[in-house]
Amino acid sequence: MYYYIFESPKNSRERQLFEKIRDVARTFGIAGEITQSSPARTPDELTKMGLEKNYSTIIAIGTNSHINKIITRIMKEKPEYPVAIGLIPTDPTSSLSKNWSYKSVEEACETLKYRKVEKLNVGLIDPGRFFLTSAYIFSRKPIKFYLDVDRWQAEATANLIQIFSNLTVEVEKFDFEGSKLKAAINWLVGKSNEKVERSIFRGKTVKVSSDKVLPVYVDNEIVARTPISVYRKLKVLNVIMKRDKVLPDKTHDAEDQSGERN
Amino acid sequence: MKQEKIGTVVGSTVHLTGALKDSSEINIFGSIEGEISSETKVVIEDTAMVKGPITAPVIIISGFIKGSVIAQEKLELNSSGKIHGNIETSDLLIHSGATFIGKCTMPNKEDKGTETGEEIENEQEGKDSELIEGGEKEEDE
Repeated sequence: MYYYIFESPKNSRERQLFEKIRDVARTFGIAGEITQSSPARTPDELTKMGLEKNYSTIIAIGTNSHINKIITRIMKEKPEYPVAIGLIPTDPTSSLSKNWSYKSVEEACETLKYRKVEKLNVGLIDPGRFFLTSAYIFSRKPIKFYLDVDRWQAEATANLIQIFSNLTVEVEKFDFEGSKLKAAINWLVGKSNEKVERSIFRGKTVKVSSDKVLPVYVDNEIVARTPISVYRKLKVLNVIMKRDKVLPDKTHDAEDQSGERN
Repeated sequence: MKQEKIGTVVGSTVHLTGALKDSSEINIFGSIEGEISSETKVVIEDTAMVKGPITAPVIIISGFIKGSVIAQEKLELNSSGKIHGNIETSDLLIHSGATFIGKCTMPNKEDKGTETGEEIENEQEGKDSELIEGGEKEEDE
């Protein structure tokens, strides 16, 4: 039996989309209990209620923030029976949409009906904030970041730190062409004026601190502030995948830097 | 859709201390104080500075290393590369302009023993003397 948690619609277009999902789900024979978040009933509370009712399939429909709150509650509750989560992201620019975007409502419902479940990695930002894709820290000007990963520490001057759920860490520093003449020449010949200096690491635990306190984002939502500790939970969340999707980007492949598995 | 496994990349603005291990390739552009080991390949770029031992099947060095280097399969020292430390490898390539200060050990593939730089030198001396002796004999004849 399916348990649907819709986000509160932001506009009439979204309201129509949600109506259509309900209708199509019914025609596909995957109708279930429909709930909708509101200021009075948060996604967190609705997920808890669904788990108390022993629903084995929870469908999260909405923005990444909404979906991540549902994932966080499922991970915190640790239900003894297997629970699968189906995702219908509504923000096409979000990181979740890269792996769970659907051409039509019919395609989404067919995926949910087919119920091809895979266990995916989940990242945990201490204390108790889970994410399925990535978390990031951004500074407009390059600043010093301090990373403490497993058995090494690093000091990096960077603009962006991105931490994926399998604890691959990408550190990026952007360099812009200082000379206006060179910038103009680059523009004329179609060369970029921005150079990206990138570092890539992997670990089991990552601690990040910075010279100044910076917000930590998961899909445009601030979930913490530096310093943070991030952990990985390997293959812990059952997620309904699209049938043609073999593996989502960076949410799989959990081999750590010593080649071991947790 | 499966993504290729990304190795470790230490950028030029990164200073790392500690033991860096990876089952896949490691590329170093920055500075490292500590041990580096990979199950496949380590590439030390010309901007890199490493103080510590490096172990991998294949190691390519264009930067500065202060420490021992153990490459089970191949070690390549490019013209900009500098090694201050002992090396151990079965296949060695040093380009013109490179600096190597240390002792070289090469496992003998036939009897699976090892030959140190000194032993190789001594053996070479022996061969030279044999040749000279042979030459003298020819002259005598």
